[in-house]
Amino acid sequence: MRAALIACALVLAGVSAASAQPAATAQPAPAWPREFPPRPLQPRPVTFPPFEIKKLANGLTVVLVSQNEQPAVSVRMIVRAGAAQDPRGKLGLAMLTATLLDQGAASRSAQQIADDIDYIGGILSTGAGTDLSFINAVVMKDDYAAGLALMSDVVRRPSFLQAEIDRQRQQALSALKVSAEDPDSVAGMVIDRLIFGFHPYGMPGGGTEASLQSLTRADFVDFHTRYFVPNNALVAVVGDVSHADAMAGIEKYFGDWAAGDLPPFDPTAPPEPTKRVIVIDRPDAVQTEIRVGHLGVPRKHDDFETLDQAVKILGGEGANRLQQVLRSQRQLTYGASADLDGYKHAGAIVAETDTQTANTAEALRVVVEEFSRLQRERVHEVELEAAQDYAVGHFPLTIETPDQIATQVLNTLFYELSLEELPKYRDRVLGVSPDDIQRVARFFIRPDRLSVVLVGNADQFVGSLKGVGFGEFERIPLDQVDVLSVDLKKQ
Amino acid sequence: MRTSLKIGVVLVAAALVWSASPEAATRPPKFVYQRLQLSNGLTVILHQDRSTPIVNVQLWYHVGSKDEKPGRTGFAHFFEHLMFKGSRNVEPEQHTSIVASVGGQANAYTNEDTTVFWQTVPAHFLPLVLWMEADRMATLRIDQDTFVREREVVKEERRMRIENQPYGRLNEIIYEQAFTTHPYRHPVIGSMEDLSAATLADVRDFYATYYVPSNVTVVIAGDFDVAEATNLVHQYFDRVPKAAKPVPRDIPREPAQKQEKRVTVEEAVPLPAVVVAHHITYDGHPDAYPLHIAAKVLSDGNSSRIYRKLVYESGMALTAFGQANLIEHPNLFYAVAIVNPGQSPAAVEKALIAELDRMKAEGVTPRELQRSKNQFARDYILGRETVQQKASHLAHAEVLHADITTADGEFDIFQNITQADVQRVSKTYFTPESRVVIHIMPKGPASRGQEVRQ
Repeated sequence: MRAALIACALVLAGVSAASAQPAATAQPAPAWPREFPPRPLQPRPVTFPPFEIKKLANGLTVVLVSQNEQPAVSVRMIVRAGAAQDPRGKLGLAMLTATLLDQGAASRSAQQIADDIDYIGGILSTGAGTDLSFINAVVMKDDYAAGLALMSDVVRRPSFLQAEIDRQRQQALSALKVSAEDPDSVAGMVIDRLIFGFHPYGMPGGGTEASLQSLTRADFVDFHTRYFVPNNALVAVVGDVSHADAMAGIEKYFGDWAAGDLPPFDPTAPPEPTKRVIVIDRPDAVQTEIRVGHLGVPRKHDDFETLDQAVKILGGEGANRLQQVLRSQRQLTYGASADLDGYKHAGAIVAETDTQTANTAEALRVVVEEFSRLQRERVHEVELEAAQDYAVGHFPLTIETPDQIATQVLNTLFYELSLEELPKYRDRVLGVSPDDIQRVARFFIRPDRLSVVLVGNADQFVGSLKGVGFGEFERIPLDQVDVLSVDLKKQ
Repeated sequence: MRTSLKIGVVLVAAALVWSASPEAATRPPKFVYQRLQLSNGLTVILHQDRSTPIVNVQLWYHVGSKDEKPGRTGFAHFFEHLMFKGSRNVEPEQHTSIVASVGGQANAYTNEDTTVFWQTVPAHFLPLVLWMEADRMATLRIDQDTFVREREVVKEERRMRIENQPYGRLNEIIYEQAFTTHPYRHPVIGSMEDLSAATLADVRDFYATYYVPSNVTVVIAGDFDVAEATNLVHQYFDRVPKAAKPVPRDIPREPAQKQEKRVTVEEAVPLPAVVVAHHITYDGHPDAYPLHIAAKVLSDGNSSRIYRKLVYESGMALTAFGQANLIEHPNLFYAVAIVNPGQSPAAVEKALIAELDRMKAEGVTPRELQRSKNQFARDYILGRETVQQKASHLAHAEVLHADITTADGEFDIFQNITQADVQRVSKTYFTPESRVVIHIMPKGPASRGQEVRQ
């Protein structure tokens, strides 16, 4: 510490003496050679690391990944029910149920749970996504049993005390107020609604003011009883614990968890894509949030991975035409991307970017043109190879930590994909040809049926939308947005 | 260097055995590394970790926004962008795509003190990455066209990150209120007027001044053979010319604040925010460690004091947190609360100050102290899982502490902190004279603010 201070003082003294000298100009060293990039070293073999899958008698699926580099263990549980399972009129139920899990369970109060996990230097987090809820705990290796004991209380025996319900409801209402003014979050909510219609995937998982107000203790207890059963859950134990010890712990804390009957889930299919443009007016915006997309395919669809490669050419890592055109060539944005979101029952292709208000129409035109080009023109071998080289080369970076490994196994199980395919990733990626890409692009990409959401200072850009083929749009003030109504406006 | 480290390890291990108790935090494994210095002044740290066949390479240029002169803010960050614009052997925009073409990831970030370029690649591409980094360190292309075009991207970045987000300007507001003189006063992304006024000569001068090997630490962490990596480092970096002049460090000091500052500003925010800040010391100062502990007791986890009082018990705040921003020069501890509808910012301010006052009057309990030490151990362990994280810790110790042994050594400093230490630093820094109180109120239609009672 002291040595550092003295060194700093010496440098300061040195500078005042040197500052009288003229500044040197930047020029490449004359001796610097023109040369080609060096050849790589001998590659090392990459294999998917070992893992084990077991099942308890009550149906709980267990994934084990043992690695002792750091003295910590993480336990990640997935329950197969999320916002998609929210009953109509009870939006936000899955989200708030997950929030309440650690706000009192068995004999522990909310404050005790917080103190128990913080005191052992652990992390406990709960939440809900579209198709699932999760409970994750990370503890130091010596606290594995303590972590499991806490986790089993939280997962199996939440109290749902009225005082905690009221408290968390109030927080959720405040959070809605903040997200209703966040352009990114509003744009995301509205594009989901346009793409999925009134299918559960089109509904806001955070709920609405009215739906949150309507939730009662019986709703939470019912949701929990119905879905939080071992035959509807997966758990991964990951890190510095042997498979035998990991399994003994899971047996002890989850072995007597009673299985249950699962309700059917059979929502109506999302609507066919239709072109619809929603302009959300936010007069104080300096940038417009742009979302463009339409329906894709569910994760388990046979064409998912091929379509995913096509969408990566449009806007994913290793390729990303949107970024090349919008940022590198045109300086219209800081970032642009496109994703194929594959959920359990449906999926979406969504491109997103943001640009200063004056460039809104032009950026939108470029995004739509890139959808169109992907569908119209056969992708060049070189471009596809580059995208595939990235995907294949990137594989070792995706198996660095035990949590990354477990996530891949959990995803495979959750979406009911084949575990045998996991180590064959490289072959699957390289097996896709430009013809395959053209086939899925022609079939699934519908440039004339894109939904568009623009959140920004409407007065400053709507006049230019007609010139780029989007003269027909619906304009809604930011504070009048209601995704539950047919015309997306508050009634 | 290596010899002294080994002695240090033995002593620390002995101390741990002697003081071990059932409550003692789990000790993370220690780093093993080699440190070299090239004749041009470049520092190189090698950390071998063969668990996965990948390697992370990061270059820490010891230049950040605090090195910028008035009227030239935003240069360090802007320069980070320009480093992707090609060099003698690498075409513009190709750095990232070359790394991507082998499956790697590359990016960069700039903060107040440093500009960091990093890439993680499959291990056998280590020569490629070192070669490209040396190329842009020595022969960056800087031309008028690139410079003008990239400025537009930075302007979009500022709009996206700061101007178009609710609470996006929070940090900017805190620092422009709390600092008068030191360049920490201005945001890292800088002023767009300054960037617009910049000339090509300014940018070239910045490169010649700060992008010199003696101002850089290269860390290589991952799967490599040490002798081979050492040879590669010499092959590609020995030829980078030595700086023509020393790197200037004439950064103005912030004069001590003599009395509390209070300010209310209006911003486009959905709910009011209250900030209570105090001037504190710098990263590496002996007081920095107890200040971190104080921040953890106040704000790490749902059992922390600020969360419990302001969010859980009273429901005054949607979210509330406090953190000690300990960086290279003296900076701030600040607590922020977003005020729930129907709650009063004045009451929230009072509650935040009450927590700091309580820390001065009562200190922390033994249980709170042990809890924060355990949380520290957790942060250490979970913060060292990937080669990128490991490289960052080593670089941080080398560049900002000028002492690489702190990458491990701080663990024991933290575990030895006492209740008295925490109370002492609370009394030293959480004084009314050093306090800055900011109320950020929603602007616009009266309807937005009507639920707020002052």
